[in-house]
Amino acid sequence: MSYMNSELAQAAQARINALGMPKRNNELWSFFPVNKIPSVVDADSTAAGAAADSAAVECADFGIAAETDIAALLPIAKSAPAMKKDFAAGETEMGLIKSRDDFGHSIFNIGKNAKVSLEILDNKVEHEIAAERFDINVEEGAELEIFFANPANELPLQFRHFVIKQAANSTVHFSNILQDAGIGRISIDVDLNGEGANFDYRSLSVLKGSASKHQRLTIRHNAPNTVSSQFARNLLDEKSYVSYDGSVIVGNGCSQVNSSQLVNSILLGDESSVSVKPVLKIYHDDVECTHGNTCGELDADQMFYLTSRGIPAETAKKMLMKSFAKELFLPLNDGPAKKRLLQVLASL
Amino acid sequence: MLSIKNLKASIEDGTQILKGINLEVKPGEVHAIMGPNGSGKSTLSKVIAGHPAYTVNDGVVELDGKNLLDMEICERANSGLFISTQYPTEIPGVNNVEFLQMALNSKRNFLGLPEMSDADFKKLCEEKMQLLEMDDRYRDRGVNEGYSGGEKKRNEILQMAILDPKVSFLDETDSGLDIDALRIVANGINHIMSPEKAVILVTHYQRLLDYIKPTYVHVLRHGKIILSGGPELALKLEEQGYDWIEEK
Repeated sequence: MSYMNSELAQAAQARINALGMPKRNNELWSFFPVNKIPSVVDADSTAAGAAADSAAVECADFGIAAETDIAALLPIAKSAPAMKKDFAAGETEMGLIKSRDDFGHSIFNIGKNAKVSLEILDNKVEHEIAAERFDINVEEGAELEIFFANPANELPLQFRHFVIKQAANSTVHFSNILQDAGIGRISIDVDLNGEGANFDYRSLSVLKGSASKHQRLTIRHNAPNTVSSQFARNLLDEKSYVSYDGSVIVGNGCSQVNSSQLVNSILLGDESSVSVKPVLKIYHDDVECTHGNTCGELDADQMFYLTSRGIPAETAKKMLMKSFAKELFLPLNDGPAKKRLLQVLASL
Repeated sequence: MLSIKNLKASIEDGTQILKGINLEVKPGEVHAIMGPNGSGKSTLSKVIAGHPAYTVNDGVVELDGKNLLDMEICERANSGLFISTQYPTEIPGVNNVEFLQMALNSKRNFLGLPEMSDADFKKLCEEKMQLLEMDDRYRDRGVNEGYSGGEKKRNEILQMAILDPKVSFLDETDSGLDIDALRIVANGINHIMSPEKAVILVTHYQRLLDYIKPTYVHVLRHGKIILSGGPELALKLEEQGYDWIEEK
């Protein structure tokens, strides 16, 4: 399917035009260096504006008319050819995803009780920005692990937007390691629509220089007995920066929801920093929602212990960084994601 | 072998903990350091090892003629110093055996020796674990992670056995040990000990010294060694406490 000059692309661009370039007072972008977003995003189009109303209705599946995050709209607006893949019910499969251009849109339907593992590779970028969107529908009882742990690249600006809708008793394990030099933003909208749905997010940022990574998650618990967990760890050196903006919304009548959010950061550089913003909107009583945030340096006693056994300080530092990072992914089930993530960690 | 002269050290707020320690340790000797709580015994071992929480204000600590105080922490260890702290640090996520192999190979690198192969290390590790009657649980866990107090002390002696230091400074190695574990740990220390090596034991009780015969016993109080003697001094301290000792 191609959006080239389609009404869908025009509708998306029209929506971007209507929203305008992000500003820091927009809470979706409050931590992001919005002045770094290139003008290509704002390429106005009279035609797009004219087509907006009718296209938005036709393309209701992607929620363009109501979308407020331009990162969700860009991959569609910039005429990216979409890739669609259906995994049949009960199927077990793994795959690699790589966008063919600066802008990519992938649509996955994970059939009932299917078990799928997807690794996202970096696309080769020609321009000043790369933006991808992934629409993932996870049907009843299906299990998806989706992950990326690409080698550090030099992309100046990279957006990845995920729209995940989960049916009853489905599970999504979403994991990543971020170590790129540029500015990156991951935005994830999750709807836990069926009872027993479970979303698990694990993210590690290992940054240096002036790299900055921004994560924005919105997890909506729309059904009882749904579970979500967010666990992020950051190892930030030099002037690097991470922001984590995680919202959890528990709908009315959604009993026995369990949600947790934990962000641990180690600041290795004097000028590295982290911003964490948990948002909990809870419209029901019978739920358990937690959030926590810690920030500090490498444990001085642990450093002393290792070096007092003859291990050079730099090696000891790496050992502690790796152990800090490893704890994030060890609880994952054995499979391609865990194998790949631990492999990347070992090479850090 | 180890020569400590007029060692003075303080903590961050300027409080002086060590107020002029003098100690000469020769090969083959076992020195026991006893003293009331808060007298500076643990500080002494940490200062010698280079713990960043302490500032050395004066003095010299030489190991085989080289001033340890001029060295990085890892260089002190690789030169032959081993310290075992009272409360060994837990390091979750760092595998105990991998850590030991890394430590041993760091020392071998420092000494200009080739790294020990995995197979040879495995053999060495098994041999030393057998000596200390340690089971396989120690292999797969993080360093001291979830260990009982006694298990941690046993793990410390395993490290000592593998790293084969010239001088070992063992701070209250007997605390947290039941009767059987005390015997096993003490036997391990005796086994590691040789005429070329020396051990400094910090202890509150005679019971460890029943197993490991000290050459000298010292009393450390208010940051200074105020009395030294033979093994009989430990027995007298056990019987009469510290109040009878007059500080100069």
